[in-house]
Amino acid sequence: MFDFAIAGIQAPIFLLMLTGFTVGIVGGFIGVGGGYMVTPALIVFGFPGYMASGIDVTHIAGKALIATVRHRQLGNIDWTLGLAMVGGTMLGVELGVRLLTYTKSIGLSGVALLSATVLIMIGLFLYTQIETHKAQKKIVDLTKDGKTVGRELSVSRVPLFFQSIKLYPIVRCHTARIVISMWVVVVVGIATGVLAGFFGVGGGFIRVPALVYICGATTHIAVGTDLLEIVVSGGYGALRQSMMGNVDMVAVLFMIVGAMFGAQFGSIATSYVRGPAIRYILSYSLILATVGAFLRLVYILSGAKYELLNFAAVVFTMGEMLFLCFFIMSLVIFSVRHRHGKWVPGWIPSLVISA
Amino acid sequence: MKALVDSMLSYWILLLVISLGMAALVYIFWLREAMLT
Repeated sequence: MFDFAIAGIQAPIFLLMLTGFTVGIVGGFIGVGGGYMVTPALIVFGFPGYMASGIDVTHIAGKALIATVRHRQLGNIDWTLGLAMVGGTMLGVELGVRLLTYTKSIGLSGVALLSATVLIMIGLFLYTQIETHKAQKKIVDLTKDGKTVGRELSVSRVPLFFQSIKLYPIVRCHTARIVISMWVVVVVGIATGVLAGFFGVGGGFIRVPALVYICGATTHIAVGTDLLEIVVSGGYGALRQSMMGNVDMVAVLFMIVGAMFGAQFGSIATSYVRGPAIRYILSYSLILATVGAFLRLVYILSGAKYELLNFAAVVFTMGEMLFLCFFIMSLVIFSVRHRHGKWVPGWIPSLVISA
Repeated sequence: MKALVDSMLSYWILLLVISLGMAALVYIFWLREAMLT
């Protein structure tokens, strides 16, 4: 146990570092901040709610920076796409927060908002699952025909529609290899920002699928580019929270120590897998986060009376982090085994890069 | 064991059960007392 003087609590250092490590792996792999997992975990460790949010966003900014540097080395960042989108995202988040304040002032209940969040997340989960399953099946068929498959394959036709919109200025994203109207990128940034600000869910959850299914970027590029955006938005959030005195820098330091290794592992792990593997993990995290949020909502709505519900919500939040972490680690292990000609499960060859 | 890992769905369930089990142990032996005080 360590005495965190600013937060005024005692918490286990090991668990903070472990949280940083696991969320680092997940964040570096699927390009999300992971605030939906970290904030509840910090509250469980004993940090006050406002302090948990401050520590979370500050740690996310640091972790995203580490992962972004690594993704840049792997060539997974499209600066044109990222910088074109970041302005729209910041504007969108501000609009989303104001819209939330307005809807609360006219009496729209929190339960209705949370239900809408759950519906959006489930919709996104289903679409990602179905598309990724089709893509995996196509990889299997192409491999059977003796054709070589690269690291990305998407069967979605939605990006073709958005790329066909000829509204000037048109931007050429060289790394992502897409030519698209700047307005599409900015509007996608605003839309994902509004959803993030309004529903309070992390932007990465929505932005990564949007970059893939609307802009037409590959999953690897979407992950790297989204992390670049998180550095900007998380950095701004960290600055604001620090100014308000909501950040215990010692706790952040311990989490960053874990995240330093986790984020690098997660980023490097993307070079072992194909795009559909990342999209699978993203869709799993979407549905697990939804179930976790639902359990917490039920606990709060029941008047925080039932210890079993609290137990389920806490265990699910922590278990979800471990599950995603184990899945990513096992994909890397299976990929290495596959490269060395050893036995791997039948569903692995279509998801990993063999050479 | 190989048959369990060979299907993506059963592997998914296996990992989820292990993860939730580990999280439950951490909660029971490490965090429960701290949360109740």
